[in-house]
Amino acid sequence: MKSIPDKNILLFKSCLVSTEYPGIESSTKYIFDKVGVEYVIDHDQSCCTGLGHYSDVFNQTSTTLIATRNFHLAKKNNAKNITVMCATCYAINKKSVKLLNNNDQFREKINAVFEDSSMEEMKYEKESFNPSDNIFHVVEVLFNKKDEINKYVNMDFSNFRIATHHACHYCKVHYEDTIGGFRNPRILDELVESLGFNTIDWYNTKRNTCGAGFRQRFVNKPISMKVTGDKLLELNKENVDILIHMCPNCQMQFDRYQPYLSKELGVDFNVFHLNITQLIALAIGGDPYKTVGIQTHTVSIEPLIRRILDIEV
Amino acid sequence: MSVQIENNPLKFARKILSDLRASEDMGLLKCVQCGMCTSTCPGAKNSDYNPRGMVEKVLEGEESIISDEEIWNCFYCYTCHSVCPVGNNPCEINQILRGIAIDKGIANDKVGSFAGYGDSFLTIGIGAMPKSFFMELNEDIEGWLDFKSKLEEIREELGLGSITISNESIEEINTLLKKVGFNKRIEELKK
Repeated sequence: MKSIPDKNILLFKSCLVSTEYPGIESSTKYIFDKVGVEYVIDHDQSCCTGLGHYSDVFNQTSTTLIATRNFHLAKKNNAKNITVMCATCYAINKKSVKLLNNNDQFREKINAVFEDSSMEEMKYEKESFNPSDNIFHVVEVLFNKKDEINKYVNMDFSNFRIATHHACHYCKVHYEDTIGGFRNPRILDELVESLGFNTIDWYNTKRNTCGAGFRQRFVNKPISMKVTGDKLLELNKENVDILIHMCPNCQMQFDRYQPYLSKELGVDFNVFHLNITQLIALAIGGDPYKTVGIQTHTVSIEPLIRRILDIEV
Repeated sequence: MSVQIENNPLKFARKILSDLRASEDMGLLKCVQCGMCTSTCPGAKNSDYNPRGMVEKVLEGEESIISDEEIWNCFYCYTCHSVCPVGNNPCEINQILRGIAIDKGIANDKVGSFAGYGDSFLTIGIGAMPKSFFMELNEDIEGWLDFKSKLEEIREELGLGSITISNESIEEINTLLKKVGFNKRIEELKK
């Protein structure tokens, strides 16, 4: 397995984490601080363009130009290990590093834009980043620290049926780099297990996409909702209490639209949606509101926490 | 009667392979038309989109595929790519076909409503969901706009910094994107 860093990390800001589930960022910071992962956040880093890129608004040149500027910021901070909270940031940044390293003509074109703009310092030097060794998802950094995290667990989720939703843009785009498998992706299952809890592991729709489909949620809602509903119905069949996420876009699709789908389909869906960092932060003592940010969720997390506290009392 | 044989049927496929969005090792020319892509595709399951058929058309040099409505039903989930036995990537091919359609100016009705991602990127350094979708989101998601109005407050409670980037960085981004024709592209899409 590739070596995973615990320092010189740029914690890469994500648009949907920032604006929908900021608790993912504060939970990540909380865990990193607890287990000694050294990171920086650079407030001049722009978003990766992902939502616009996959809505066909940004072409590859614009997206990679923006990525190159962000790579420069990583270097400037001596934090070349770009670590993302969103699966689409992961796919976008890896793709841009590959292009910049392998396509000399394109790299020169990008560098010419920086030169023309008097931003020479941002020019990309071939091989200065490696797609496998410099671009990580937070789950990978946590995977590397799972034994350390286990020492801090003080909240018990073992009475719940937990399932995992592995984001497509982590498992299916650059799958040669995916840790924990991509046919039956298990990195989230392994992280949950390392906390001392079980997951249901495989279920029929485990590999299915969340249904957001970038444009589909907005302009093709019936098929977007059909895909999301199919997965929720399967989770109901499996009596799942908690679905664990690793991407804010997937989390938005399930958490925000679950009540809508309950109404549309006339089925009670009672699944709690948590990002893996939120589950871990809760399990190791993070404050539900001040660290985990459950107040931004549509499906309330309060009943889940009350159930745990009742059991403990 | 004479049979016409296209001299260079792979010209279109090679054009796609040379697109920046095409992964270097994309196995387009190795496609055996097995249909694994279509059998696992969420778009194919719920519409007439057929990634295997799309790849077939590309290999046959049928450029008319760019105006096929069905290509807009791909979810960009890359499930097709992750199961392809020869490393082909119908998802990326789809992105490239849509890109060609956009460049030809025949897809503004499809993409125009998303141009707001570009506007917001140039304004705050984040590609935020276009405001035109807000009302529907708020109808579907109880309390969504209410939550949005409290976002800054919540972020402060969580100890997080500002969402937007500095004015200097926004200027940088504007200068750079202008040089690659981004603003023009956004304005074109809105037409």
